Amino acid sequence: MPINPLTLKKIRRFSSIKRGFYSFLILSSMILISFFAEILVSNRAIVVNFNGKFYFPTYGQIITGKTFGLDYEYETNYRELAREFKQGKGGNWVLLPPVPYNPYENDLRDNEYPPFPPSLKDRHYLGTDTVGRDILSRLVYGFRIAILFSLGLLAANYTIGISIGCAMGFVGGKFDLFFQRIIEIWSNVPFLYVVIIISSIVVPSFMMLILIMAFFEWIGMTWIMRTMTYKEKAREYVLAARAMGASDFRIIFRHIIPNAVSVIVTFAPFSVSGGIVALTSLDYLGFGLPPPTPSWGELLQQGWANMDAYWIVGSVIFAMTLTLITVTFIGEAVREAFDPRFHTTYE
Amino acid sequence: MRQVGKINQALISVVLFILVMFLNGCGSEGTPEKPAEGTSPALDRPFDGATLPDTSEPVHPKGERPGLPEDINWLTNEEDPVFASPEARKGGVFRDSLISFPMTFRMVGPDSNGSFAGVLRSNAFSLIGIHPNTMNIIPEIATHWAFGKDKKTMYFKLNPEARWSDGYPVTAADFAYTLEFMRSKHIIAPWYNDYYTREIDRVIIYDDYTIAVVGTKAEPDLYLKLGISPTPKHFYGVLSEDFVKKYNWEIEPNTGPYQIREFKKGKFVKLRRKEDWWGKNMKYFKNRYNVDEVVYEVVRDSNIQWEYFKKAKQDVFGMTIPKYWYEKSKTPVVEKGYVRKIWFYNDTQQSAQGMWLNQDKEIFKDKNLRYAFAHAMNIEKVIEQVLRNDYERLEQGFMGYGPYTNPHVKARRWDLLKVEEIMTASGWKKGEDGIWVKGPNRFSVEVVYSLDEHTPRIVVLKEEAKKAGIELRLQQMDGSAMFKKVLEKKHDVAWMGWSTSLRPQYWEHFHSANAHIPQTNNITNTDDPEMDRLIDAYRNSLDEKERIALSWKIQEKIHETGCFVPTFRVPYVREACWRWWRLPKVPGTRHTLSLFDPFSSTTGGLFWYDKALYEETREAMAAGRAFDPVTLVDETYKIR
Repeated sequence: MPINPLTLKKIRRFSSIKRGFYSFLILSSMILISFFAEILVSNRAIVVNFNGKFYFPTYGQIITGKTFGLDYEYETNYRELAREFKQGKGGNWVLLPPVPYNPYENDLRDNEYPPFPPSLKDRHYLGTDTVGRDILSRLVYGFRIAILFSLGLLAANYTIGISIGCAMGFVGGKFDLFFQRIIEIWSNVPFLYVVIIISSIVVPSFMMLILIMAFFEWIGMTWIMRTMTYKEKAREYVLAARAMGASDFRIIFRHIIPNAVSVIVTFAPFSVSGGIVALTSLDYLGFGLPPPTPSWGELLQQGWANMDAYWIVGSVIFAMTLTLITVTFIGEAVREAFDPRFHTTYE
Repeated sequence: MRQVGKINQALISVVLFILVMFLNGCGSEGTPEKPAEGTSPALDRPFDGATLPDTSEPVHPKGERPGLPEDINWLTNEEDPVFASPEARKGGVFRDSLISFPMTFRMVGPDSNGSFAGVLRSNAFSLIGIHPNTMNIIPEIATHWAFGKDKKTMYFKLNPEARWSDGYPVTAADFAYTLEFMRSKHIIAPWYNDYYTREIDRVIIYDDYTIAVVGTKAEPDLYLKLGISPTPKHFYGVLSEDFVKKYNWEIEPNTGPYQIREFKKGKFVKLRRKEDWWGKNMKYFKNRYNVDEVVYEVVRDSNIQWEYFKKAKQDVFGMTIPKYWYEKSKTPVVEKGYVRKIWFYNDTQQSAQGMWLNQDKEIFKDKNLRYAFAHAMNIEKVIEQVLRNDYERLEQGFMGYGPYTNPHVKARRWDLLKVEEIMTASGWKKGEDGIWVKGPNRFSVEVVYSLDEHTPRIVVLKEEAKKAGIELRLQQMDGSAMFKKVLEKKHDVAWMGWSTSLRPQYWEHFHSANAHIPQTNNITNTDDPEMDRLIDAYRNSLDEKERIALSWKIQEKIHETGCFVPTFRVPYVREACWRWWRLPKVPGTRHTLSLFDPFSSTTGGLFWYDKALYEETREAMAAGRAFDPVTLVDETYKIR
């Protein structure tokens, strides 16, 4: 399918806004990396060569210590295995990921108490948290959860928002009035309190947290889409389409939504950053995903309580700032690229 | 007195969920009594013995005064060792902080059970006390006591010296009034209403200074229940509906060594020592309650309290939490010796903290799986690597109960081989992810807990349990939501502790009468006829030796059931104090929970202010001179 020249123009325009474009590259690579985090950040080795046989423990079931000639039945500790193989002969070797820790395990030591500061030797590049878990590892997995969360939330909000908003704008009349009142009532429910109450009664899972939050956040998109639809509905091209006998369904999906897409797309990056911030703050307050889920909010909370362990609070603040700034820059660039007036301050 | 009050409540099975292990949660609830003063004109009628006989109806329905039984055997106790220091001197001002201002100065009724209630109740003495080291009865307001033959009555001779803080003598009528007061609907305190109706039958007045308190049933350890405290009849008179509102900020006359002198809502409360307190020369109160004034200032954040302490705006600081003891105390005032650290081992009832397995859940119906679970919990690793070896392993749910504790019961230790053995014997196999499976069942259980501070401990257990093939799913919940879930028996494993009482309470936790129904404390749903038999025998026995033997057996039985995995105990208190505060040679007692409790009638008020040391320290601080840092460790009562 050939790309619409208008779209092409928008893409070109987007990539010409350097700040946004590079942010986009950074964020996409971060997301991409996080999806393959098991290879880069994990306690499981990438490859083990034992007695001439290759093992790839990263994905799939656990390989017990017995498999590698160790004396235990639980999952192999590959860091120890690597150390052992290095000392022994026999050509066995282990290739560990660059960060050989998973986000849950506690690297505890005798007579020393976490948090441990960053150390190249132990491969805790950003140190450990107060329970001895690797911070980099928790950041990476926490990022993956946060970004998936906000994308999921975005999808949920937009699905609800666009459908109800379009319907309100398109159908109008009593339907519109009814939903307007609903929204007015809804928007007066204090969101944070409700989330706190709910999550103190039941421990929210990932999906449930998305549902709870979507429950309150569909309003914004609905409001916007309603206005957009009203506006577009009154345009001549809609009238023309109708005169040619197009169905309501076709008018909405082929004419109105494509014309409103610039608004939808422009809002998306900001919704993503909003989602990340929301999850992080809920976790920070202790009402988010249950422990020990890796979470930025929880790290932030730990950092606050242990200010002298600067590496905790430093890492998580840096990571958050980076993510939120890139998302914001992308958002700005997208808005700019979609701006029909070509008015800009970016070049 | 406070101890007795505490015990009373526990005895009738109100067991408080321990929300905060070290922070002194809600003040121990107890029987009534309240302090006050400055507000004396409440009832202007001067004391007049003749007005006594109109004791309220629950006391003695027929109105005539009965005679004492002939063969009464009066007891007292002046033989036990004293635990205060003869070197103690009076004087000084002791400053401490409150995290929030009390919501009321009432000791009963709505909002009265905050942490400040502890201060008020400590200053409300009762008939008798308990010696904190020997656990024998000692005099408080009663000088002598005697046990009735029916095993439900105790007789008391009151100390004629005893005075309310407004000068009125404490007489028999005040004890009778306690019942009237506590049974009144107007105090809006259903628990007290119920307790003083169901547990205490009546108070009999023989003369102004001789009474009997009668319980509703024959019971062992009766003295723990019948040593009630007086309520100032002259102050309250006839109660009316406006009680709650009227007495919110009234200062009730009290019998203890201190009384509230001044307060500013939201800011501070000042208590002043009574110069001519009636008890000051009594054997067990002598050389105690030394400071002239105790000032509580409201400081709403513990980090700021710590800063206040470092600036000597607060005299002591609790350091049981490792972060303070090890890290935060690396600060100049400690290193230069201006502040001393004290680590004091006590030997008191330990909260039954640990993991309570719900035997109504499919997976825990099998005893072997409960054993396997216990062997998969690496509590020792948590103690060593997370808790700095500061905590000790709790061997069973009833440690620190003196002779009632069976020392031979030891908790199951981390043992992968045993888990393996048990699980394979029961026909389970390891699944792909290393977790045990059998048919559709997977050994994956949910652990509910409520405290943030416990997350580090539980995540380590989780990782270790994985090695044993057991998956723990952590569910952190808000405290009350968790408690509700647990009381409705909807949990797999509850991570929690129970408050303690003077004697082990088994019925509420392990008797089948409380199993399988919501809102009872048998959260493990233990339902075992043999256990029931032992517990019933224990409850019905009036013979101490037999009770102790049964107690040991029950503890063995609980261990055998395997429904409770004991975790930690903290057999000590740690505190830091400025250098000018001094303590006796043995700084506390067997049952001391805080070395610097200014009031508690059982263990409090042992410390004193040393003016010379104060001046020396202040001079040294001004000149920048340092002393040797002092960390005092007292192991007098350590269990070895």
